[in-house]
Amino acid sequence: MDAGLIPAELLKCAVVESRQVGAYRLISFVAPQIANLAHPGQFLMIRMSGNELDPLLPRPMGIHNVESDLVTMLIDPVGKGTARLAAAGIGDRVSVLGPLGMGFRFEGEAPAVLVGGGIGISPLKLLARSLAAEGREVRCLLGFRTRKEAVATELFSGVRTDVITEDGSVGRLGLVSDPLPGCLAREPGKPTPEIFACGPSPMLAAVARIARECGNAAQVSVEAHMACGIGSCQGCVIRGAGGYLRVCNDGPVFDVEDISWQ
Amino acid sequence: MAVNLEIKLGPLELAHPIINASGTFDVLAADKALEEDLFVSFPFAAYIPKTVTLQPRAGNPPPRLQETAAGLLNSIGLANHGIEAFITEDLHRLESLPVPVIASIAGEETEDYGRCAAMLDSREEVAAIELNVSCPNVELDGRALGLDPEKTRQATVLARQATSKFLIVKLTPNVTDIIEVAAAAVDGGADCVSLINTVHGMALDRYSLKPVLGHVTGGLSGPAIKPVALRAVFLVSRELDVPVIGMGGVTTAQDALEFMAAGATAVAVGTASFRDPLAAAMAPELGRLINEHGIGSASELIGVAH
Ligand SMILES: Cc1cc2nc3c(=O)[nH]c(=O)nc-3n(C[C@H](O)[C@H](O)[C@H](O)COP(=O)(O)OP(=O)(O)OC[C@H]3O[C@@H](n4cnc5c(N)ncnc54)[C@H](O)[C@@H]3O)c2cc1C
Ligand SMILES: Cc1cc2nc3c(=O)[nH]c(=O)nc-3n(C[C@H](O)[C@H](O)[C@H](O)COP(=O)(O)O)c2cc1C
Ligand code: FES
Repeated sequence: MDAGLIPAELLKCAVVESRQVGAYRLISFVAPQIANLAHPGQFLMIRMSGNELDPLLPRPMGIHNVESDLVTMLIDPVGKGTARLAAAGIGDRVSVLGPLGMGFRFEGEAPAVLVGGGIGISPLKLLARSLAAEGREVRCLLGFRTRKEAVATELFSGVRTDVITEDGSVGRLGLVSDPLPGCLAREPGKPTPEIFACGPSPMLAAVARIARECGNAAQVSVEAHMACGIGSCQGCVIRGAGGYLRVCNDGPVFDVEDISWQ
Repeated sequence: MAVNLEIKLGPLELAHPIINASGTFDVLAADKALEEDLFVSFPFAAYIPKTVTLQPRAGNPPPRLQETAAGLLNSIGLANHGIEAFITEDLHRLESLPVPVIASIAGEETEDYGRCAAMLDSREEVAAIELNVSCPNVELDGRALGLDPEKTRQATVLARQATSKFLIVKLTPNVTDIIEVAAAAVDGGADCVSLINTVHGMALDRYSLKPVLGHVTGGLSGPAIKPVALRAVFLVSRELDVPVIGMGGVTTAQDALEFMAAGATAVAVGTASFRDPLAAAMAPELGRLINEHGIGSASELIGVAH
């Protein structure tokens, strides 16, 4: 599939589901066009509809899942914008631009190891579904700080998951990158596993290092503060191997080799 | 009664007064996300691409953006691929736009303005040239050239000698007396002034209490700066005899109405396009508001607050 090169829509969409999943808020809204076009790893620029000037700008949000006409996102309310979105109730309207950016690319049939840290687990749901639909073997490593965040593991029912928490309150104690090397060996008759990761930058740096050491291909979804989300402002850059890269247009998913990890 | 929204900006005949603010709308990039929406009803009556410089610039280290109360801080640092690439790669693509193109140029020293203007003078795709003497994110002894009236005058003189095109000078609000700087630009040969660029500002990370922006300080834009911009437009347009392009926080047609009443001939939309990429499609609503005020045309609205 040709990731990313599809039109974006600016829509006002009605919220039809809003519920707490541990520390996170799960919100679904009606957006048939987006549900139809969304590719795993793409994102939306989203804010509450209306004339409110604070928060001013939409926030980038990953697409957690799509189901017929519905688009679902998972929100970690870390600040003003995310808290406002997390407070959206049923019947409220959100203004949405998307789907945007280059999502995860998948070719071939290598077993997929999905690594998510904290709210970074969000886009892995749609990714896991799509990979499975293509007949690929999928395994998820989901890392959280505590039990409260780890509740979100329930969103991955039906997928093979391992849970890791920093306080050991659920699953294995430690960091999500700890068990990763053990999942990367090539099994007889199968291609070398490929890594797909989303999470905080220290986690992604660890994934990149492990991928290099173990010789696995890896794609990571990175975060940046954004204003436009469509390549207009040059505000969302990260350091790439050959200069700055725009997270919104060149990413948010990158091959690990394309990013400068210094 | 239909209101005539047409505006004359020197030799430019604009279908309505709403244009974009440089650096906030890249049609060549946005095209990919917005496709038809953008071209079916192109919201701007003229298009100003991001400022270009003699040499390509990578821009400032990230983070480059932080939202503040009803505002946006940025420290992009004039990231651009240089005027040569602009001329050879971008200009012919921009030619297909249904509106005139105003090129924006900046320099590290006054001479750069003359050099860049000379390179654009023969280009038919360029309807006018804007001299950005006001970017707060480029260090020139730590100061934008436009903080100094004499340097502003010199840069304008050099550009004026290099081109016969309609010349706009874009000013910074970060000065004690913006009328003095505007007068210096006009004295140097500016046909028009454009104001305001962003307001100096900064933000601290709430956890580390260190500057958020990689460049430490940045420029504030958006609704938060509207009163600052409105004052600048009001004072400069009342004092000087050249048209003024007003901008700073314009988000709604009501804002555009007020900027014109304060003395702006055209109004630019910047940060609001990040909030909604089609926010600038406000001309019909502006027409309705003008009519509601019993004013017959957009040009009659200019400066009614004076
Ligand atoms: C492509 C992409 C996809 C994304 N997908 C999602 C998603 O699916 N779900 C989601 O919830 N978020 C997602 N985000 C992140 C989300 O966009 C940001 O969290 C949001 O923009 C922050 O805005 P705010 O106004 O809530 O926070 P602000 O008011 O801007 O303040 C929050 C800031 O404080 C800092 N901060 C917050 N918490 C902490 C902490 N515990 N420790 C240290 N610093 C902290 C961070 O730097 C953060 O930027 C995504 C981002 C990108 C780029
Ligand atoms: C991300 C960003 C990039 C900008 N880049 C430029 C630029 O390249 N050249 C320029 O003259 N002004 C630039 N500006 C300033 C705007 O053109 C405008 O003067 C300012 O933002 C105020 O208008 P606003 O509040 O509507 O955004 C930039 C502003 C922003 C927010
Ligand atoms: S957010 Fe504007 S270029 Fe990426």
